[in-house]
Amino acid sequence: MNVLEQARRIDRRYKAFNHLPESLEAGAEGRLAGFSVSVKDNVCVEGMPSTAGSRVLEGYIPPFDATVVAKCRLEGAAVLGKTAQDGFGFGTFNVNTAYSVPLNPHDPERSPGGSSGGAAVVTTAAEFPHLAISESTGGSISCPASFCGVVGITPTYGRTSRWGLIDYANSLDKIGCMGKTVRDAALLLSVISGPDRYDSTVLHSPVGDYTAYADEQVEGLHVGVPREYFAEGVDQGVSDAVWRGIKRLEGKGAEISDVSLPFTRYSLSSYYIIAMAEASTNLAKFCGLRYGLHLPLEGTFDEYFSAVRSEGFGDEAKRRIILGTYARMAGYRDAYYLKALKVRTRVIEDFKRVFRGVDVLVAPTMPVVAPRFDEIADMEPIQHYMMDVLTVAPNLAGIPMASVPCGQSDGMPVGLHLMADHMGEGEVVRAAAAVEAG
Amino acid sequence: MDATIGLEIHVRLRTVSKLFCGCSTDSADAEPNANTCPICLGFPGSKPKVNKTAVEHGVRIAKALNCSLSPAVRFSRKSYFYPDMPKNYQITQYDEPLATDGYMVLNGRRIGIRRVHLEEDPARLVHVGGDITSSRYNLIDYNRSGVPLAEIVTEPDMGDTREARLFLEKLGVTLDHLGVYDPHAEGSLRVDANISVEGGGRVEVKNITGYRNVEKALSFEAVRQRSMARMGVEVARETRHFDSEKGSTVSLRGKEQEEDYGYIVEPDLMRISLSPGWVEEIESTMPELPDQRTRRLVEQYGITGFQAGVMVNTGLNMSLFFEECCHLYGDAEAVANWLVTYLLKSLNYLALSLEKSGVRPETFVEILELIDEGVISERTAKELIKDYADGGKSPRQLVEEKKLALMGVERLRDVVAEVVDANPQAVEDYLGGTEKASEYLVGQVLRRVRARADANVVRKIIKEMLESIGDNASVAQ
Repeated sequence: MNVLEQARRIDRRYKAFNHLPESLEAGAEGRLAGFSVSVKDNVCVEGMPSTAGSRVLEGYIPPFDATVVAKCRLEGAAVLGKTAQDGFGFGTFNVNTAYSVPLNPHDPERSPGGSSGGAAVVTTAAEFPHLAISESTGGSISCPASFCGVVGITPTYGRTSRWGLIDYANSLDKIGCMGKTVRDAALLLSVISGPDRYDSTVLHSPVGDYTAYADEQVEGLHVGVPREYFAEGVDQGVSDAVWRGIKRLEGKGAEISDVSLPFTRYSLSSYYIIAMAEASTNLAKFCGLRYGLHLPLEGTFDEYFSAVRSEGFGDEAKRRIILGTYARMAGYRDAYYLKALKVRTRVIEDFKRVFRGVDVLVAPTMPVVAPRFDEIADMEPIQHYMMDVLTVAPNLAGIPMASVPCGQSDGMPVGLHLMADHMGEGEVVRAAAAVEAG
Repeated sequence: MDATIGLEIHVRLRTVSKLFCGCSTDSADAEPNANTCPICLGFPGSKPKVNKTAVEHGVRIAKALNCSLSPAVRFSRKSYFYPDMPKNYQITQYDEPLATDGYMVLNGRRIGIRRVHLEEDPARLVHVGGDITSSRYNLIDYNRSGVPLAEIVTEPDMGDTREARLFLEKLGVTLDHLGVYDPHAEGSLRVDANISVEGGGRVEVKNITGYRNVEKALSFEAVRQRSMARMGVEVARETRHFDSEKGSTVSLRGKEQEEDYGYIVEPDLMRISLSPGWVEEIESTMPELPDQRTRRLVEQYGITGFQAGVMVNTGLNMSLFFEECCHLYGDAEAVANWLVTYLLKSLNYLALSLEKSGVRPETFVEILELIDEGVISERTAKELIKDYADGGKSPRQLVEEKKLALMGVERLRDVVAEVVDANPQAVEDYLGGTEKASEYLVGQVLRRVRARADANVVRKIIKEMLESIGDNASVAQ
């Protein structure tokens, strides 16, 4: 069975793709020769429908490749297809989509996590050389990696170019990667990182070979355990599995210490205000004028725009547009949007302070293992948002992080989260490789 | 004080490419939507990138208007839904404008400048089969989308419509000297004008193009608001649209319908530091500004302040033209005199700009040379200048083709002799003491030779000839 047939079979079983092409084109040489790379649907691939999981972009075929996609092609990769996600990245369980909901290969009754759910499903199920381009705004790489038991790396904000990414919240969005192993994910990260003249926010410093850090050498590495990340709300089984991972690091010579990140408790509200404020402006462009969903031209432009948006956006997108618009309106802007920006600065300072004493931080990625779809259906929106409590702070701070499998609870994979200071991808990879090796 | 007026002026900056992408800004001859790309069309996944030249132009404007510069350039998103907006938000500057707190001196008085900031132009809407209020549908031309604009906001420091117009004219000349905009391009300067009369609310008239229209719109508003006040009707705060064909304004929306733009910082663009080194570099390339230039022309060339002022205020190219002429022709006063008195009059009459006329320094000074060489009379020169300004032909060519050269003195003496012979009565009258009889003869000669003789020369020859006839007559007695 060739790669495309295998991918189709994964899709039939777990509904992982929003689009699969008719044929694959691969380069003969390069660091990714022999690999298929799947691409989260919100990352543009020239000539391939790219909807970001939303009906409002139905039928949209981008006229250009995202920079990260172009880099993979240059290194010989075949672009496998577009993976399922929550619409625009708005979700934790990949149920907020206009298209089919992907299923967790470990238990199809459960969510693979979100928003990069399809990426994690394909990474888990693929039995061919595969890497996944995914994207995180508040935890959308770490969460599904954790729920599916694969490795997900979210780099420093600006380490990878966002050119070609259909924006959720531009000051938070990071394109990252997933792989079955730390080395795989690190390989993709080495390829997609680096300067790009099409993205003004990208970092200019040169990129190393991150796979070189996958040497498990953690002797003398200072590992901080932030106590706020093991607090109430984290399942005992999850906590136990993560502690087993921490013991493994200690066994390999890492120095473990207790640290505190007091501002983490404010990060969830700060994150959602900033993310929704930015999202509500990003989504304004989808109005059925130049691309995506069109309706018969009727009424004034206001009426037409409203009709397209009412029909094209899902409930979660509408909820975030309304909340985000509210947070930046005159009269509320100071209390919400501007205050959230100030809190963000404090969260960053919090991490900076801690990283003066430790090299990496370790925590559970998610407070729970992958929930069942029937459990998700009973959750209120606020409970969905609360699921991100452990991932939003590092995402808000723009520091690099990786989720690596560290064991099981209830027969489901548990992810251990490693975080380092800005540009500390190397340390993250090193510690993750040590946890992975067991 | 008549009224309280403040202006918001949108200047289209003269750059090769757009504010946030590489598309050309020159769409004068382009097909609609030819100069576009995913960035200025607002395609998903595209990101803006700042045009450095546009920032530098902004700094030049800020410096020319005596503003304090912000230490960095930061952009914001201004959100509202309108079909001319590709992203349904405009990238502009909000909390941290490029510059604040400046002024421009107008007739010895300072008009305050509240802020100067950079932003992108929306697309152009083509109202098919009508105007903004009557057309059935619109077409959208994105060629204009993303063209860099500087918005200059004044304090409400102008007291009447004429002052507003003078301010705009001086601002236009200043921008022209800075080289940051093209004064001849359509819509390169668009104005939103705020006006209120005593006791009334502030009324904003949106999107007026051209100095004269601003004056018209404001005059209409001043009269409308004052008569409302007289009738005891409250002038409500609102936004109005100026109909340039009718010369009147109509209400667009009231205060309660004013938009909430929900500004956030533009997260796709980093803060760009305006380092002292960069600002110094920009300042070192700042050209002479109109007031400085006027003073220098007076000092350097010995021309009058009036002449220098007229040239400078006509536009940078006019005073550059003057200076080039002075290089080619030594008598600056004569150049200024001919330029200000006759050339400008002809250009105005022809409704031509200097740039569009065929006038060039090398050919313009030919006029002065032709007079000096005695080839043409001043009168001929004055008549010639209009043909010269209108067509591409040089004064020497025109003199040749139209046979405008003065006659030689010998040939002129022959004509004078013929006229004198043909008018014995006039000769007699003159000799009899009626001096003005000679003027009749001058007129007769000029009628025959037209412009090819100078009246003073003719007058001199006739006098000589009449005197000699008189002398002969008295000898004969």
